[in-house]
Amino acid sequence: MIEITNLKKSFGKHEVLKDVSLKIKKGEVVTIIGPSGSGKTTFLRCINFLEKADDGKLTIGDISVDLKKTKKKEILNVRRKTAFVFQNYGLFSHKTAIQNVMEGLVVVKKIPRDEAKRIGENVLDWVGLLDKKDYYPSQLSGGQQQRVGIARAVALDPEVILFDEPTSALDPELVGETLDVIKKVAKKGITMVVVTHEMAFAEEVSNKVIFMDGGKVVEEGTPKEIFMRPKEERTKEFLSRFITKDMYYI
Amino acid sequence: MAFDLENFLKSLQEAINYLPVTIKLTVVTFVFSLIIGSVIAIIRNYNIPLLSEFFAFFVTVYNGLPLMVALVIYNLLYMNYYSRIASFFHISKAISDISPIYVGYFALIMSSSCIYSETIRGALKSIDKLQYEAGYSIGLNKFQTLRRIIIPQLIPVALPGLTNNLVGTIKGSNLVSAIGILEVMGGAITPCAISYSYLEGYLAAAVVYWGFSAALEFLIKRGEHYGTRYRRSLA
Repeated sequence: MIEITNLKKSFGKHEVLKDVSLKIKKGEVVTIIGPSGSGKTTFLRCINFLEKADDGKLTIGDISVDLKKTKKKEILNVRRKTAFVFQNYGLFSHKTAIQNVMEGLVVVKKIPRDEAKRIGENVLDWVGLLDKKDYYPSQLSGGQQQRVGIARAVALDPEVILFDEPTSALDPELVGETLDVIKKVAKKGITMVVVTHEMAFAEEVSNKVIFMDGGKVVEEGTPKEIFMRPKEERTKEFLSRFITKDMYYI
Repeated sequence: MAFDLENFLKSLQEAINYLPVTIKLTVVTFVFSLIIGSVIAIIRNYNIPLLSEFFAFFVTVYNGLPLMVALVIYNLLYMNYYSRIASFFHISKAISDISPIYVGYFALIMSSSCIYSETIRGALKSIDKLQYEAGYSIGLNKFQTLRRIIIPQLIPVALPGLTNNLVGTIKGSNLVSAIGILEVMGGAITPCAISYSYLEGYLAAAVVYWGFSAALEFLIKRGEHYGTRYRRSLA
């Protein structure tokens, strides 16, 4: 179970996150949607300390952290329970696909090399890239790189995988294959938090949708509740561009 | 004046005899300066409080000091205060028993460290922040990320600059002649006092220096291919 309470974050004078709270059950897929600047990416990045929140509390599984004063060891512990999929793939450019996937297993989880290789090859096969395991990122397409990134995250067997707009940097043709893999991850029962603009995907895959704007959670609910029967004006306004009037029903 | 081949070759021989001095100066300086320069660059890259500001200031200021001026100053200070330093450290040797080459090493290492640190810092800056974040996201700590992710990507970027800096160090080592240390050039012009063929002497020194630099650069270029496999793309 993951719980974030009263998270606050400012960049200088600009208050980006104004008290955000979120509860995620094991195996849940939570999608965060919202306009640019709403703080959704910052919020995601605060969970694994890529950004340091100013205040709040974070609980992942059995560890609980005070975000006002976090020790280095606590940050490492949280990072070892989470995995992150970056918008721009974030693969280690000097390592092959299989080496990218193995890195966390060998160095962080201290799994012996042979077993790590076995796990790595399994996961790469699962995302459909076993034949490309010895390729460097520079030799892979964007979609393939993103799938390696997802494989890397899945191989770590974390408590939660955080996805930061995983398809935003992909051209429309490659979005489909990546979304298919993300759906597979969801079906596997892994807890996920996904920041995305892909509304159809959000509707299809998530258990819970959060709409954020201006650093606050405006509305949260099931995909049906959010996309078909949004309660808040701001939510309706945001979704009006994606969902046409005839998709609403009472 | 006509070019005297015999005297040129005599000087060439003497120059090569003193090549070990130049090699020692260059290699020792390179190793120490690489380490110190890397430490400075890393401190500045990670913005470690106090130390990064100190080194930023120090490097900028020290880089303005020409090597020959520095050598002469250090040598004068060394000679003036040797007795005090020796009694403090309980060294019983006389100043004439200790080679002035240590002053040379000191000046060269100080100067080269600052120069190398800037090259390495530039290479560090060129690495996308995303690489750091990717490392942290899988649970690597700062040191592991630096060692396993950043430094391997840093080396191909820093290599051309550092090769150039190394040649600079070789040329800088020439200046120790200002404090009485015999290196390639000093060796090359020793026979010239008799034959008065100074041009041949200096040319011989130039040839040896040039040959040494060229050989090192060639070796490094061969090594460059080794670390850059991953930058090739299929297209």
